[in-house]
Amino acid sequence: MSVLGKLDWSAIPIDQPIPLAAGGGAIALMLAALGWVTVKGHWPYLWREWITSVDHKRIGVMYVVLALAMLVRGFIDAIMMRTHQALTVGGGSGYLPPEHFNQIFSAHGTIMIFFGAMPFMVGLMNFVVPLQLGVRDVAFPRLNSTAFWLTASGALLVNLSLVLGEFARTGWLPYAPLSERSYSPGVGVDYYLWAVQIGGVGTLMAGINIVTTIVKTRAPGMGYLRMPMFCWTALCASMLIVAAFPILTATLTMLTLDRYLGFHFFTNAAGGSPMMFVNLIWAWGHPEVYILILPAFGVFSEVIATFSGKPLFGYRSMVAATLFITVVSFMVWLHHFFTMGAGANVNAAFGIATSIIAVGTGVKIYNWLFTMYGGRLRFPTPMLWSLGFLFTFIIGGMTGVLLAVPAADFILHNSLFLVAHFHNVIVSGTVFGAIAGYTFWFPKAFGFTLDERWGKRAFWLSLAGFVIVFGALYIAGLEGMTRRLQHVAVAQWGPLLYVSVAGVAVMIAGVAAQITQLVVSIRRRDALRDDTGDPWEGRSLEWATPSPPPAFNFATLPEVGGEEPYWRIKERAIASQQERSASDYEPITMPRRSATGFVTAFFATVIGFAMVWQIWWLAALGLVCAYGAFVAFAWRDENEDTFSAEEVARIERARRGAAA
Amino acid sequence: MSGPSGTEQGDAADAPPGEERLDAREFGGGLKSYLTGLLLAALLTGLSFLVLDVPFVWGPAVPMALIVLAVAQMGVHLVFFLHVTTGPDDTNNVLALAFGVLVCALVLFGSIWIMDHLARGTMVEAAPAEEVGAPR
Amino acid sequence: MSAAEAQEDPYVLGRGRGGADAAGEGRGGDDARPSGRGEGGPAPKRTVVGYGFWIYLLSDIILFAGFFAAYAVLSGDLAGGPGPQELFEQRRLALETAALLISSFTCGLAGIAAGRGAMLRTQGWLLVTGLLGAVFLGLEVQEFATLVAEGAGPQRSAFLSAFFALVGLHGLHIAAGLLWAGTMMAQLAVKGFRPAIERRLMCFALFWHALDIVWVGIFTVVYLLGLAG
Repeated sequence: MSVLGKLDWSAIPIDQPIPLAAGGGAIALMLAALGWVTVKGHWPYLWREWITSVDHKRIGVMYVVLALAMLVRGFIDAIMMRTHQALTVGGGSGYLPPEHFNQIFSAHGTIMIFFGAMPFMVGLMNFVVPLQLGVRDVAFPRLNSTAFWLTASGALLVNLSLVLGEFARTGWLPYAPLSERSYSPGVGVDYYLWAVQIGGVGTLMAGINIVTTIVKTRAPGMGYLRMPMFCWTALCASMLIVAAFPILTATLTMLTLDRYLGFHFFTNAAGGSPMMFVNLIWAWGHPEVYILILPAFGVFSEVIATFSGKPLFGYRSMVAATLFITVVSFMVWLHHFFTMGAGANVNAAFGIATSIIAVGTGVKIYNWLFTMYGGRLRFPTPMLWSLGFLFTFIIGGMTGVLLAVPAADFILHNSLFLVAHFHNVIVSGTVFGAIAGYTFWFPKAFGFTLDERWGKRAFWLSLAGFVIVFGALYIAGLEGMTRRLQHVAVAQWGPLLYVSVAGVAVMIAGVAAQITQLVVSIRRRDALRDDTGDPWEGRSLEWATPSPPPAFNFATLPEVGGEEPYWRIKERAIASQQERSASDYEPITMPRRSATGFVTAFFATVIGFAMVWQIWWLAALGLVCAYGAFVAFAWRDENEDTFSAEEVARIERARRGAAA
Repeated sequence: MSGPSGTEQGDAADAPPGEERLDAREFGGGLKSYLTGLLLAALLTGLSFLVLDVPFVWGPAVPMALIVLAVAQMGVHLVFFLHVTTGPDDTNNVLALAFGVLVCALVLFGSIWIMDHLARGTMVEAAPAEEVGAPR
Repeated sequence: MSAAEAQEDPYVLGRGRGGADAAGEGRGGDDARPSGRGEGGPAPKRTVVGYGFWIYLLSDIILFAGFFAAYAVLSGDLAGGPGPQELFEQRRLALETAALLISSFTCGLAGIAAGRGAMLRTQGWLLVTGLLGAVFLGLEVQEFATLVAEGAGPQRSAFLSAFFALVGLHGLHIAAGLLWAGTMMAQLAVKGFRPAIERRLMCFALFWHALDIVWVGIFTVVYLLGLAG
């Protein structure tokens, strides 16, 4: 074995034009961006204000930027899959060779779930939760930064596989024994393992941080049952992260041991049990679904209440439903493998549990409807996304209940009906929720609203495209088409696939409109500027701060009194802050910026890369350096900055002055 | 201190997990807790080993006895070493613990149940070990 | 150490909410000390750090639960290889268990000494804790080496894979704990008792005690149940 392990020139896919072009394009884009930053001399600013920032708002924004980039990457994969399949109908060979097609559907799922949807949700939680709780920061700011950079490092490793080596060909969950060394000897599965493990550790850190923030640091008077709904869903989603991600870590570690050291957890030989992999991975996988959807539910609760001009209907039942979903989500995982061969009793038990968990979501749907009932409705973009969610998600939920019946699942398992179902809940649930939250809170983060015209265009195009794509796939699934087909031999499915490609075209237009919205808004930012800090007539504490909020969020911690609607809390919070004279301010201590997260993630990337290519000395070196850095960071004494009372007063006056 | 009305000291103390609160100022008090824990844990551990060795425990009952002893010892560790109590100042810690234990139990017993059913349903026999030392 | 810092719990469930919550209204907003009536503002740092670490420990325990589940399912799959009764040695197990249990106790003593600000005793008990942990680790390495030498390595059968992974994971945690304890002792010696270091000591104690609880599970489920057949 050479110094560079398995790494040599053959790792670069010179013979495959598509990944080479894509990878080359991505590298060119990155170099261009880096070059621009260098030429403009933005590095010190980026390093000080963003890369080493431990401000939860900055970190939240970085999460969302990463997520948006990864969503686009995953979307490109999706476009390739749809068009390729349509081209292979009727004897065509398409443009993706089988091994490449398999990598694409694996990368699509991995990227969308781990590095698109999850960071988006974690980013929103990071940005919004402390503001809604009325506090100055999260519980563990440096851990927060580390969590983000580890997630970014995982994303980097996945995308690196585009130009160096290959990605897994096993699907987004590397089912054994296909993912074992004997059947997948390449580095693809290794890339998957290390990227997801590193990203998973980051996610776990983020989850711990958010749980602790919500349970232990809230504004005075903010009891559990006075928290905004989004905080509740963030708490439950983070509890799910804390409880579920270790199972993923354990499972992938076992697979890693199988692959690297010849263990026999999931092998065919020597008593290993491939089915155990399926069992364990879904014990994580099902809670994961709710990790994705619960924060989105929180976003919809906030958005619908705000734009109905009413408090959320049935707040306590909403809390109860969220907690119910949190617990029951750990009791349904077998419905992902009804067909594996467990007996009728097991299937029946998990089928019933799966049907029951829909009740919690049903409660929520009715609560949203009743919130709107009799309300003073407005329909800006975030509200449109929420309404689009309500209509489409109900379809997705009902097909889910259909699949929860084991007998039906035996027919529909691994069909495009299933694919359409889970896209129906994840796209119209999580992604619509993410975009709704992005549009809703964007003015809070940057001080100007997003362009409404392009936002509405993006919504209608995405909604229409989405319905066309997955409506067609539902039917194709019912007609018997299975998922992950590199070649479509049944001509009868052709028309449906063509329809779905047409839908993809509409969705591309939707995504383009979404990007245009951002560009147009940035260029028109002076016209769109929001000086009030409350562009939507919001109902929770984040709208009581200026936009963008100062580093310390609240010059004086708001006092939350009574179980009144947040409306009143907000009004009081604004009033009480505006009345203050300079003498009322006190010095505020905030954590100092720190390179801990970035350095940790750098070494994590090195270790991950070295392990993928089996460059053992580099992995060991990375580990030692990581430990050294860790000790060095732990050794420091001063890690807080203090804003003096005068400075606080000055910043506040400047912000408020702009508002007045 | 743990009284719900908290008349004497105002309110219950907020405590990080693992903190010995009642006797934190008393060296003897803290020591007593750890000593009790050590003794009980040693006793239960000893009993576990004993159950295995002595002939007069009915064979089929041994596994159950071992599990009961282990659960008891975990409880001893939680109470005397980690100072988990039922006091109101510990509610958040205990709730989190309960959730964690629930998830552990679901994963553990769920997996055993599912895989056992599967094994019986499909009559999977352990594959012969011809590939021992598996390909690297 | 916590006496001065002992603060009221603002987050007790079932109390201090609702109409009777007069304290929340009447209290001054800039009062740094929480009222303890359900919603008293951010908790002190020590509580926050302790709770966060507690949550991490729960995730760690669930990690072990995954390996326990794998062991429980695969422990019968010997693939014709040796089983628990031929491999496990009760005497070494008893030594390992004793070392770990006593180290958990001495770790508690270190905590008490740190609470009283007694540097020498804190360092001493931490050292004893670490040494006992090292003894445990040594015994475990010896056991692994013996098994591998007997041809009962993790590649032999699914049972042995699950065994080595579960017990090895625990051993890895112990090793990490030793590294942590050593680093912390150095830090303590150089910097003395600071709030940040005291918080780390508290977290270390939680970590060490939790590992002992996991070991109770391992020696019962893996070793004793294995020996019981």
